[in-house]
Order: sequence, then C-alpha cells, then structure tokens
Amino acid sequence: MRYSMQRYWFGDVMEDTCTRAEGDTAALADRVAAFSTKMEEFVPLRWEQAVLCGTAPDRAGYLALLRQVTTLLAERKIRAWYGRGDALLIQKVRMLEDLDRAASLVAERFGEWDRVLHPGPAEEIREPAPRRALEGARGRAEGAQAAVIASVDGLAAARAALVEEVTTGAREILPNCTALVGGLVAARLLSAAGSLDAMARLPAASLQVLGARAALFAHLRTGSPPPKHGILYQHHRVHNAPRNRRGKVARTLAARLAIAARLDCYRGARDEEFLKRADEAVRRAGRGT
Amino acid sequence: MIWLDGVLVSPGSRSLHGERILRGHRVWDPYRSKLAALAHLGHEVDLPSSLRVLYLGAAHGTTVSHIADYVECVYAVEIAPRPMQDLLSLARQRENIVPVMGDATRPGEYAPFLERVDLIYQDVASPRQAEIAAAHRVFLEEGGTLILMVKTRSIDATADPDAVTRQVTGALASCYRVKAVVPLEPYHRDHRALVCEGVK
Repeated sequence: MRYSMQRYWFGDVMEDTCTRAEGDTAALADRVAAFSTKMEEFVPLRWEQAVLCGTAPDRAGYLALLRQVTTLLAERKIRAWYGRGDALLIQKVRMLEDLDRAASLVAERFGEWDRVLHPGPAEEIREPAPRRALEGARGRAEGAQAAVIASVDGLAAARAALVEEVTTGAREILPNCTALVGGLVAARLLSAAGSLDAMARLPAASLQVLGARAALFAHLRTGSPPPKHGILYQHHRVHNAPRNRRGKVARTLAARLAIAARLDCYRGARDEEFLKRADEAVRRAGRGT
Repeated sequence: MIWLDGVLVSPGSRSLHGERILRGHRVWDPYRSKLAALAHLGHEVDLPSSLRVLYLGAAHGTTVSHIADYVECVYAVEIAPRPMQDLLSLARQRENIVPVMGDATRPGEYAPFLERVDLIYQDVASPRQAEIAAAHRVFLEEGGTLILMVKTRSIDATADPDAVTRQVTGALASCYRVKAVVPLEPYHRDHRALVCEGVK
C-alpha cells in the first residue's frame, strides 16, 4: 500500500515523518478550516504522532490542545450562524408568537376573574369576551387586577414594536417573499422552515403546508384529506378566496414562494419582473380562470 | 455500568440537568437517554475507564455527560448551533469531552481531529443514518462496537418502524454486523437500538 500524506490538525504526516503545524490555537483552527479531506484516502490519526511532531507532550496535553482548537472552531461557526440576519428575525417572530399566546392566556383568565367579581348580566356583545372584560375593568380595577391590566398593555406595546421590527427585517432579508405574502407571513414561514437556507431548499408543496403539521401527518397516517394550507392561510389572498378555490390559490402562491425564497437566499434583491408575473398568476388562480 | 439498588447511575457527583444524585452518583434516566434505556432493556454496554468514544449527534450533551463520567474521552459531534452552545459549556467543565461542530454526513470536515475509537454511538435525526454509520467505520478500532440508535421516523414518518430498521440493517451489511436489534419502548417511541460490530 502506498501512503499518501495525511493532514491532521497538529501537522502533516508522511509515513513516519511529521511536519508540525506552527502557530497558536487560532492558527491551528484556520489551518484545519482550509482543509478539504477526502475520506477515501484518509487514515485516522494516532495521538502519539502529535507527540512525535512536538505539538503535545503527552496524552493529557494532546487532549487539552485539541479541545482548545475544536472549541474555538465551534465558537466561530456559532457566531457566523447567528450573525446572519435570518437567525435574529426568527427569534423575533417566535417572540411575537409567544407574546400573542401569553396575552390571550392572560386576557382569558382576566375574563373569568372579572365574571366572579361582577356577576351581573353581560354587556352588549361586540368585542370578544375576554378583551371586553379587560376594557370594561379599566379604570375601576384596583390592586393586582390593575397591575394585570398594566402588564397586558405592556405586552401590547411590546407586540406593536416587535411587529414593526419583524416587517422591517422581513423586507430586508426576504424581499421577494415579503412582496408576495407580506412581512409577517413571510417571517413566520421562515421561522417554521428554520433558516433561510432551509427555506430556499423546501419544495413548493412543503411551503404550502408549512404550519399544518398535525393535519399533514394525520393525512399521511390515516388518509384523511390533505391540508390545503398552513401558515399561508394567513395571507389574505388565500383566506379571502372562495372556499373551493383556496387550495388552488395556496398551491399557486406556494409555487411562486418557493422561487421567491431562492431569490431571497441566493440573490437577496427584489426581482420586479418575477414579482409582476407571480402576482398575476396568483390573481388568476383566485379568479379561477 | 454501575447500578445502585436497580437504578442506573454514572460516577459523577455534580448534577447537570437537575438529575438526582444517589450516594454520590448521577442517576442516568432511561427516559432521557437512549443508552440508559438500552441498559434497562437488558443490553448493558461495557464502559471501562480506558474507552474512547465517538458520539455522533451529541445534542445538548445529556448522554454525552454520563458516558464521559465513565470513559477516557468522548468526541462529541453536533451540527446545530443552539445545542452546540450547551455542549461547549458542558465541555468547559469536563476535560474529557472534545466538542466538534460538524455535519455527520460530511465526516471529512472534522476527520483531521478524530482518532480511532472503541465505541461509536450514533443518535442522528437524518434520513441517511445508515450512510453516516458506514462513513464513520474507518474510525472504529478493531473489535470495537457501533451503537446505532435508529430514529425510524426521521427516515420515513409513515412506514412501519420494523421495516425501516430492516432496511437500515441491510444497508449496514457491507461494514457492520448487527448483533442485536432492541426496540426502545416504553422509554423511546419508534426508536430501535442496533448493537453492531465492525466487519473485517
């Protein structure tokens, strides 16, 4: 068997000679990051080679230095991953969803509390009950109840600020998707996909039902009708379409979205020509011609 | 593996994720860790203090930390940034964990860091689990063991877990011999542990 040179993190090994990699932890990390190791010709290292090389004095020293290098590389990769705009946008959308859940949970409980406090006949029904209870109690609430109202107001203010940031962020990171379905829906799709990269790789059929996991798996397992839309339902073109055409609109929209996501991921700028044609296609699907 | 009154533990006295400490040992929960589940189901894995382990799909490091309590060193490979942060802080506390951020479907990216090991433990949510195990065969010592936790739902969400497992076993045949197939119910649903040895 002919030996080829093996490149390891501590140096290059050729049969029984070793050329030590020079430099500090960062230099060692940079060196390995530039490798392109082919597994077919690769022979795993033996730690004793690193001692031979003069990189480490013994087993403990070997592991200690190796851990420094791999840790540094991991920290760099994490920073790079989080440094991309989509990671931040995803956190904002998820916070938005959590705020909505929290606010509605608190409002719900507030309504129940208020019913006990004021068991009189219900007022004229206009707003949803919990919201109404909260508004009705404003001014007359005291103590803890007043504090709860103040927190709900605080959540509402945070939500408004967050919506602003999410739509701005979506316009920047998902310019084409945002033009198609609006910043909020685009950002929610991104959150469900996990990353811009992952979103750009999704087939249109997946984008179409993103957010309808329960219905999709029920379909796969039991053969119930497949979901027509997930998060996409939130787009007005879908939920405003006549019932029998919603599937078609969602399908058409998803097909254009898959292209838009790829444009956003790999080009990052609006494509007016594409958007014009996509818009027409979705419009046509809505009219059913 | 150490058992105290029928409770599986690992030799460490500092609780990591709030697990109970039993007479100076960390309780190893079979519901949280598939390797502990495997031991509870009668397939104990020998973890002598000289052992070197390659752990693919380390996640937040729960199982990694227990294995590290026993063995000489663990190479812990994980791809996702969030769990990697937890793994890094775990590795800061334990000198025998080598945290490696990388994609198990591309071993070339981190191969220059790895040495041959006595045990490869794979718990990766990928449709290509057999392929990953095969690609890491080169890192398994003569007489070493592969424990492959087959996540059948990651391969096919609707197919029968046993059919998926047979498919994986077949795909492994050129480099591993499967010695035991252990369903991990009731601890982990739709997971099968394959205990294998290297061929040749």
